[in-house]
Amino acid sequence: MTDQDTTGGTGDGPTPGELPSRTATGSSLPDLPPDAARRLAELEDRPGHKGMFTSDLSVNEFLLIKEVGFHPLGFVMGSSIYHLGIQTRRWSQSQELAKLTGAMYNARELAMNRMDAEADELGADGVVGVRLDVNYYEWGSDTAEFIAVGTAVKAEDGHSYRNNQGKPFTSDLSGQDFWTLMQTGHVPLGLVMGTCVYHIAHRGLGQTLRTAGQNVELPNFTQALYEARELAMTRMQVEANELGAAGIVGVRLEEKTHMWGDHTIEFLSLGTAVARAADDHRIPEPRTVISLDG
Amino acid sequence: MTRHTDLGPGRDPQAGLHQAMAALSAAPPGGRGVTSDLSIDETLLLHSVGWEPVDLVFGVSWWSIPWGAWQWQTGEIAEASSAFAGAFAEAAQQMREECAQAGGSGVVGVEIEMRVAAHHISIELTGTAVRRVDHHQAGFEFISDLSARDFALLTRAGWWPLSLVVGASFVVAPRRTARQWAAQQGQNTELPHLTEALYLAREGAMARMQRAGSDAGADGVIGVRLREGPLGHSARIMQFVAVGTAVHLAAGSHRPIAPTMAVPLDDAERTFEAASLRSSR
Repeated sequence: MTDQDTTGGTGDGPTPGELPSRTATGSSLPDLPPDAARRLAELEDRPGHKGMFTSDLSVNEFLLIKEVGFHPLGFVMGSSIYHLGIQTRRWSQSQELAKLTGAMYNARELAMNRMDAEADELGADGVVGVRLDVNYYEWGSDTAEFIAVGTAVKAEDGHSYRNNQGKPFTSDLSGQDFWTLMQTGHVPLGLVMGTCVYHIAHRGLGQTLRTAGQNVELPNFTQALYEARELAMTRMQVEANELGAAGIVGVRLEEKTHMWGDHTIEFLSLGTAVARAADDHRIPEPRTVISLDG
Repeated sequence: MTRHTDLGPGRDPQAGLHQAMAALSAAPPGGRGVTSDLSIDETLLLHSVGWEPVDLVFGVSWWSIPWGAWQWQTGEIAEASSAFAGAFAEAAQQMREECAQAGGSGVVGVEIEMRVAAHHISIELTGTAVRRVDHHQAGFEFISDLSARDFALLTRAGWWPLSLVVGASFVVAPRRTARQWAAQQGQNTELPHLTEALYLAREGAMARMQRAGSDAGADGVIGVRLREGPLGHSARIMQFVAVGTAVHLAAGSHRPIAPTMAVPLDDAERTFEAASLRSSR
């Protein structure tokens, strides 16, 4: 890699609170393709046509979701195939690659917006069991497919569980976790994420020689990884704050290099923002058991 | 049993289990042994809802695809989609017949093996035929990929499986023109025509599965799995297969299962990873 930098970046990166563009841009496609609309229309009840639901929930999850008063409406999804360009990076400088961060945000946002649009079409209160995946195909160099799938659900008591942005809540909790969350008097608000694509500086010859054969911390690596993770998590928290959340549960931090080589890593943190449904809530006391298997 | 399941109201779980134990220890009906790939736990659960395993049943179907069907195509490959649907329907029909011959009235735990090769599509189904313990048969009732455990749980809640439903769609990923390629090189941007092609293929598979469920008179399809990916013999052709079990609400209304929370007091096994101390060189 050569030491070139056409972006003129100073390596400071954006401040943690400063988010890359959160609204999906640059798509010429409608949020809801006509074929998807047709499929979803078939799910709804209308005179002379009996509606039904589809869902990727297991039997356990299905029964637990019914147990907390929700009914599945339909399996919903969204996808976007994205061309990921390159951003030049300085060999010896740790810095965020803001363009790539923006691209990763935008691609996931496009997929999630399409999934939301499908859920919205069904009149859902929320989407549970959301999974975000990235696929790479042999036929597409530098392209990746971002996909979001989940099951749209609606409350059976007519109460609206939409979040403060008027959209169905999304959550990556499984049916089991969703049931347990509801037992604690919380409701999900939305799937929140923060991402940061970071270039970690290579070590110079001098540094390598100085630390060869020594047991020492490598401050530049430590600091770079630390900062990248903090950026991703801070962005996730900002999203949760926008939803007025009381907290985020089930946070996962994923690190992937995708197709960028060793020193460029995407840090992605994902979790479900939750809010308290009622102030006075007693959590049922769990029974203790000893299983006799194994 | 590895899961702590409260088996729900409407039935005394103790009495149900006693009945099941008695049925298990009784001699097999008709003097003939029972072949099944169910575990003893699953057999017990099946008995607790009044069903028993009968035999292992199969359904196999191979369909040929006309020569050249994959070549020089754009968009969806209709021949492949219809061959898939045909092969699946035939395999399912065979399984029904085998099940009926064995004296069963439903099949649980169906495993699906599908292979899409250059000149044929093959579907293989394997499952366990089951019937009601009281021999009160109502003809053939269902094929389902639900495990016996899931079947027991679902029927307690008032739902019944109807059939295994499937939808497939094969699509050629479009190529980008030289001009598009040049314009997108080095850019971070969505590729709209590719996105659209795969989106439509996925929706197509889902819609076909949905229609099959609708035709079966289902109230819903659960456990939908989407199998997707490039074909082995041609990486540009993507296959999307949606499979699920169509269910309907037989009881008039959903019966709550009322689970309780339990904390297992078993210690998590912790072992020291000696491997991590080994030199990486």
